[in-house]
Amino acid sequence: MNHTVSRDRRIALVFLLPAVVILFVTTIYPMLYALWLSFRSYDLSKPFIPRVFVGVANYVEVLSSQAFLHALLTTFKLMAMTLSVQVVLGVGIALLVTQKLPGMAVVRTLLLIPMMISPVIVGLVWLFLYFPELGYLNYFLSLVGIGPVAWITSTGWALTAIAIADIWQWTPFFMMGTAAALQSLSPEPYEAARIDGNSRFDVFRYITLPQLKPVIISLLFLRAIDAFKIYDIIFVLTKGGPADATEVISLYIYRQSFTFWRMGVGAAASFVSLIIITILITFFFKSLQRSQAALAR
Amino acid sequence: MTANAREKILLYILIAIVLIVFMTPIYLIVVSSLKPSALMFSRPPTFIFTPTLQHYYDLFTMRPFHLQILNSLIVALGSTAFSLVVGSLAAYAISRIKSRWINDVSFWILSMRMFPPIAVVVPYYIIFKSIGLLDTPLALIIVYSTFNIPLTVWLMKGFFDEVPEALEEAAQVDGHGVIATFWYVTLPLTAPGLAVAAVFCFIFSWNEFLFALMLTGSKAQTVTIAVMSFWSSDAVQWGRIMAGSFVVLIPGVIFVLTCQRWLVKGLTMGSVKG
Repeated sequence: MNHTVSRDRRIALVFLLPAVVILFVTTIYPMLYALWLSFRSYDLSKPFIPRVFVGVANYVEVLSSQAFLHALLTTFKLMAMTLSVQVVLGVGIALLVTQKLPGMAVVRTLLLIPMMISPVIVGLVWLFLYFPELGYLNYFLSLVGIGPVAWITSTGWALTAIAIADIWQWTPFFMMGTAAALQSLSPEPYEAARIDGNSRFDVFRYITLPQLKPVIISLLFLRAIDAFKIYDIIFVLTKGGPADATEVISLYIYRQSFTFWRMGVGAAASFVSLIIITILITFFFKSLQRSQAALAR
Repeated sequence: MTANAREKILLYILIAIVLIVFMTPIYLIVVSSLKPSALMFSRPPTFIFTPTLQHYYDLFTMRPFHLQILNSLIVALGSTAFSLVVGSLAAYAISRIKSRWINDVSFWILSMRMFPPIAVVVPYYIIFKSIGLLDTPLALIIVYSTFNIPLTVWLMKGFFDEVPEALEEAAQVDGHGVIATFWYVTLPLTAPGLAVAAVFCFIFSWNEFLFALMLTGSKAQTVTIAVMSFWSSDAVQWGRIMAGSFVVLIPGVIFVLTCQRWLVKGLTMGSVKG
């Protein structure tokens, strides 16, 4: 026993310490710096003015400002729009492409491509499709009598336009996760259900779905964490506009820090968002433990 | 026609719709990058035309795209190499240490990957500015490693778990130390894992945008920023944007086509048994 403990210590020292030290210096230190900064008034465009301690003034400003609350609300609105569609479409497509038919493996592979494309490129190609006057999306919609829709230039549609691009990129994530989970389900309950003559919908509702649920919940939290950080696609498509229709948290922090050069306010908003993301991460790890327990059963 | 055959046809129609929806943007990138500018937005869209390489030619003559590719390669390869060394060492420790506290360390490392980049970009900007690393590939290598190390730890732990410890004990009985055993016995057995982790790190670094936007200027500019800048420059050259986009998406597409089975493991962080 003693031998194991000393071996553990030696392994920890040689193998683990470098990663812990590096992550501490490169992640925790900047976060602490941001925390320090969030109590200061600091204008980056005037670097010679001392960084005055202002107490919680930045936090008070952030939490009571209409713009921040609006950004927070927009972030959650976008999250709700994208996640709900992605999970339904993703599970639906997964049920399609896990059918035992020729060519399905190829289809599954092709559908994974969007996830591995840089979000900037996703933004640009959707900009090409949405482009006012020229974009092909409105052209094809006009062929079926719809339109024209001011996708990225109207406050009413801009958030939807961003949601569509995000849904396009990340529906495959739920498809992939659900398909993998479906293929690992044991076939026995299905045979029993078939013998009992249940309808296919009932089989899905009462046998498949309950088994998929823990997996889908962890996937949802994982996507929620990413959705909360969304930046690139919006930066390309609308830069937060028109007006503030698509200004999510990341864009708000960006604007405070790099447009108004108010680093203290940006840092305070960053910290509020760090707290929210920490809550989401905690939920994810909890759901992960639950889904792994369910899979191990 | 039997009910079964009709059902199959319906399935294939649905799948065709799904494929069309999800493949159209990719098709557009490829086709538009080869389309003469005059036909770019023709009504109705031109499907048959003489492809031109003009836009690709412009990328490298009117813009220093080769330098930006080089920057991206330096950053992505540098961060990948660094993360693989540090990350696989840590993964080995997490896989082998039996004490309870290791779970907390493991969760802590994993959570480092999930924090919002925007929250640390201001500190990074100020820190790098004060030590003169702004607009250098090294700055991006450091920043990307904070995401790539946790990813490598996560992926490699799974591979190390599968190496039987009896094998290592045998090596240790033969008089090899912990480090020698790791290097000569364990690591070679996890070579496929290293390859997967390397590809993931490379693609995440290659695709990254926010940090590259904030922390580089003209010298260390990467491909994603370069392509974005084609858009903001005076005349919107869609052909050039699409040609650049195509270059950027190549590594990701190759990855999907060659090792898609690892995507589940790398992207779902253990939500699904991959």
